[in-house]
Amino acid sequence: MMPLPLKLAWRETANSWSRFIFLFLCIALGVGAIVAVDLFATNVEQAILGDARGLLGGDIELSWRRTVSQNGQDVLDSLSERKIIVSHITEFAAMAAVETNQSHDQGTKAVSQLVELKALDSFYPLYGSLIVEPAHRTEQLLAPIQSDCQRLPCFGAIVQKSLLIRLGLSLGRELRIGQTNFIITGILGKEPDKIATAFSLGPRVMISREALVTTELVKTGSRIRERYRLQLPSSTNLERWLGELRGRLSQEGVQVSSYRDAQPRLRRFLDQLTLYLGLIGLTILWVGGIGVACTIQGFITQKTPIIATLKTLGADSSQIIAIYLTQSLLLGSIGSLAGGILGAGLHQGLPLFLQGIIPETFSMEPTLAPILRGIAVGTLATLSFSLWPLLAIRSVSPSLVFRQDIDRAAKQSKPRSWPKELMGTVKDWWNDREQRMTSLLITGCLLGLAIWQAHSLSLGLFFSGAFIVSIFALLCGTTVLFWTLRHIHFPQKLLLRHATSNLQRPGNFTKAMTLAIGIGVMLMTTLITVQHTLLDLIEDQIPTSAPSFFFIDIQPDQHASFKQVLETHIPDSPYNLVPVVRSRLTAINGEPINPEDHKGKRNGWYFTREYVVTTFQSLPKDNLLTQGQWWETTQPQKSSNESTAQNNVPLVSVEEDAAKNLGLSLGSTLTLNIQGVPFVAKVSSFRKVDWGSFSMNFFMIVEPGSLDGAPITYIATARVPKTVEIALQQAIVAIMPNVTAIDVGDVLDNIAMIFRQLAMGIQALALLCLITGAMVMIAAISINRYRRLRELAILKALGGSRGLLLFSLGTEFGLIGGFAALVGISLGCLLSWSILYLFFDLTWALNMPVLLTGLLMTIALTLITGFLGTYRLLGFPPLSVLRQE
Amino acid sequence: MQLSAGNHAVQILHNISFEVSAKQVLAIVGPSGSGKSTLLGLLAGLDQPTCGSIHIHNTNITALAESAMAHFRRQYIGYVFQAFHLIPTLTALENVALPLELQGITTGEERAKTLLQAVGLEKRVHHYPIQLSGGEQQRVALARAFISQPPLLLADEPTGNLDSATGNLVIDLLWQLHEQHDSTLILVTHDTTLAARAQRILTLQDGTIVNDASLTT
Repeated sequence: MMPLPLKLAWRETANSWSRFIFLFLCIALGVGAIVAVDLFATNVEQAILGDARGLLGGDIELSWRRTVSQNGQDVLDSLSERKIIVSHITEFAAMAAVETNQSHDQGTKAVSQLVELKALDSFYPLYGSLIVEPAHRTEQLLAPIQSDCQRLPCFGAIVQKSLLIRLGLSLGRELRIGQTNFIITGILGKEPDKIATAFSLGPRVMISREALVTTELVKTGSRIRERYRLQLPSSTNLERWLGELRGRLSQEGVQVSSYRDAQPRLRRFLDQLTLYLGLIGLTILWVGGIGVACTIQGFITQKTPIIATLKTLGADSSQIIAIYLTQSLLLGSIGSLAGGILGAGLHQGLPLFLQGIIPETFSMEPTLAPILRGIAVGTLATLSFSLWPLLAIRSVSPSLVFRQDIDRAAKQSKPRSWPKELMGTVKDWWNDREQRMTSLLITGCLLGLAIWQAHSLSLGLFFSGAFIVSIFALLCGTTVLFWTLRHIHFPQKLLLRHATSNLQRPGNFTKAMTLAIGIGVMLMTTLITVQHTLLDLIEDQIPTSAPSFFFIDIQPDQHASFKQVLETHIPDSPYNLVPVVRSRLTAINGEPINPEDHKGKRNGWYFTREYVVTTFQSLPKDNLLTQGQWWETTQPQKSSNESTAQNNVPLVSVEEDAAKNLGLSLGSTLTLNIQGVPFVAKVSSFRKVDWGSFSMNFFMIVEPGSLDGAPITYIATARVPKTVEIALQQAIVAIMPNVTAIDVGDVLDNIAMIFRQLAMGIQALALLCLITGAMVMIAAISINRYRRLRELAILKALGGSRGLLLFSLGTEFGLIGGFAALVGISLGCLLSWSILYLFFDLTWALNMPVLLTGLLMTIALTLITGFLGTYRLLGFPPLSVLRQE
Repeated sequence: MQLSAGNHAVQILHNISFEVSAKQVLAIVGPSGSGKSTLLGLLAGLDQPTCGSIHIHNTNITALAESAMAHFRRQYIGYVFQAFHLIPTLTALENVALPLELQGITTGEERAKTLLQAVGLEKRVHHYPIQLSGGEQQRVALARAFISQPPLLLADEPTGNLDSATGNLVIDLLWQLHEQHDSTLILVTHDTTLAARAQRILTLQDGTIVNDASLTT
């Protein structure tokens, strides 16, 4: 036989399930959000840990930003001798050109496109699989082609579909990269070791290593990435190998990583993203919890006669609380189950917002554990939010079976001043052991949920604290509203008076509605304000004088012809053309730097990064000398060659933040590894650099002449008018196919697009919070629908027209919306200010159009929600309602 | 007994003192507002008197805390209401077995069936209150009141919501059950013929006893 509480709970729920629809929705939305985020977090975990070898492309990867030195090659050769499989991949950005047939009067014309080239050997991929359409062997697709080509050498190439779209190509068409022609033999489906497609400079093109040599693109100083992936026998000790390779390659400037520490940045980003999305989910659940508390309170009030009857039959309060607690948990678990299903649906929509950010091979398969966890969280939240209203069962007198509750009515009719009221409540709470224990239990449950969701004690406490502060501020705000309404008299407007007094009536849940809506508004205001400020930073703050193109890998022998092409095509635009060398810092003041000591540390990248070093005669613009002296003032009379010769140690000027993080002082010596050759320089000055100018800026500038003999290339920046962009690119590709042109606008647009896409995802989740707020409002309205029905019937019977009644209801709901929006927006401004100021070090600006839209939309939302909750009541004929009474 | 309404305190009952011996039938009569139902509620421990004490079965029920009072009620008191007060989501059978279930006895179904048979509802055991007529509902309430075999049965206008024929049937059943279970019966009524069947009539007026008459049968 079913136990009594379960039997009663089940019957009650089954009989009047429609009454609990909003409670289900309140819980389901919160649980849905949490489950969706948790499912995604599980996918991240599985993809990054489970498929780590595939993402890295091997057990260990050795990665150089230049061609490998002799020592490095020796180490690699020794690996092959020890039966280790080594796969060699070369990656870099290059220009692909296509000859297109224009209309007959124009003849043929070359169109160029920046691509990310990847040269593969036959071992690729060591782990995971490359998916190409048609599904032939990679070696076969990339093999040399002797016929059907306009020019030889010619090879097959696998390209990303976006390249075909951009250049209007199809399978079998030809393109030219460097000195080689390629026929497109395959379309790239999935690349196992591609992390994020969003931050690439152009579409991927895969070619063979043999083809790479023929392109003649890899020259001294070229900006390339050489990756050597190792497949170790399964019994091998990974750590021992890492230790050995790091030791043998310590002076090579090589990055040695294992699949275990693969993708730390992506992992950190996705972890942070899921953490914050999870906290938004928890906020939704807590807002939904307010709806649960209102529904349970209203339900208990309606069930007072049954509670009193049970008491006369000998049930004690704890037995009755057990009955209704079982019912709450039953309702909560049904809502949570619905939430689990909703979450699985929302989860499938997440890739829309994460396109390009998550690896292509990322699986979005739902798993059971997050759904079960979500159901547990939802049920626990229901328990926390229903316990307090259930305590009211204790005060239901069994004598209510034959008499109205005169005592309680008497209590409510005696208003006390708020300090006395507050003191009284605190005193009652302190004297009531059950109340004390229940509040402890509720606090414990909610804190536990927050800490669990935040994965950290401090963040969980901070989140709970912020939530409590928001609730407190919203409650204070509502109290101010009540006070104001009490002191404004509307002598001529009975219905206005009716609306405002309705707001203040006990049991109207006005505070709960304001809270639920206000928190959603606060969240949206914060997110939109932060997003606007960050997007403005990306889009609007680029100075109009900033260069629009970067050209890299210009060889010294191309210097003159490059200059000539620029001057022919953009005679009126200024340009910069400077020599650079790529280097790695290997020692400071003679002390060798071990990159492993700095990995993963805050600002550790100053020690591990690649430094592009240049030389300038005079201090570049957008640079300000903060310490030391520039060389033209120190040695005005000498030529650069003389100065180097005399001191034997060239001078270097360092950007001040880098200097600070590297612990440099004037006179310190730096040892840089330039393509395997050590280069020692003495720090002579520090500079402050305006990175926001988007000009060519450098961390390290050495004095003129000191780079003589070094493997330099040139880089250039220019402001290219839109009209000549294509012509200029075509001219450069035609005579200097190795030079890569990067459109700054394209790169920034790409970043802004990704940011906007992500922000949209976060906002969509936050919108759920506002929808939950609306659900709470409908739930609160529906609890009192019989009372409202009676009142509306009386007003109608007394001659109130439908229009007047609508006006009265509109005033009531509009005031709730207006007030929730005002307080929510104010809190949102405060929160966004703190986020921008504390985390991004940016200034907060008042965005009136956004805030006003927020205010109006919230009022519209509460009006619509309010009418949805009451429109049916307006249609009832007053006589039938009053007769039933 | 004093109740407060707004700022006014209303004296509902005062100077009430009486004893009822076991197995006796006592009728409490009086005009509306005289305090009959309040007195019955006090006897059931549903309300607390503002002063004085009530002893039932050698227990001072006015000194019992809420939980102890609930336990006492389960064991010693049965209650029949004018408005029946059945639980709408439970069947007739489940409503009757409810007091036993509240005591943790889950095997009360057979006893409930026997009682429903005794009140002539053996064919309505699985019906919900809404599917029963007023008379049937009150008969279910009678069965419920007797299921724990309480020594004291309180009935508040048990026929007040019923027509006279149904009312008579319910009263006959009430008497029958009272005799079968040897319980003390205290009933509040407006109905003088019903009151005349009692062994003793207590008349209340303005909250005080104005007449206490023993009838010989």
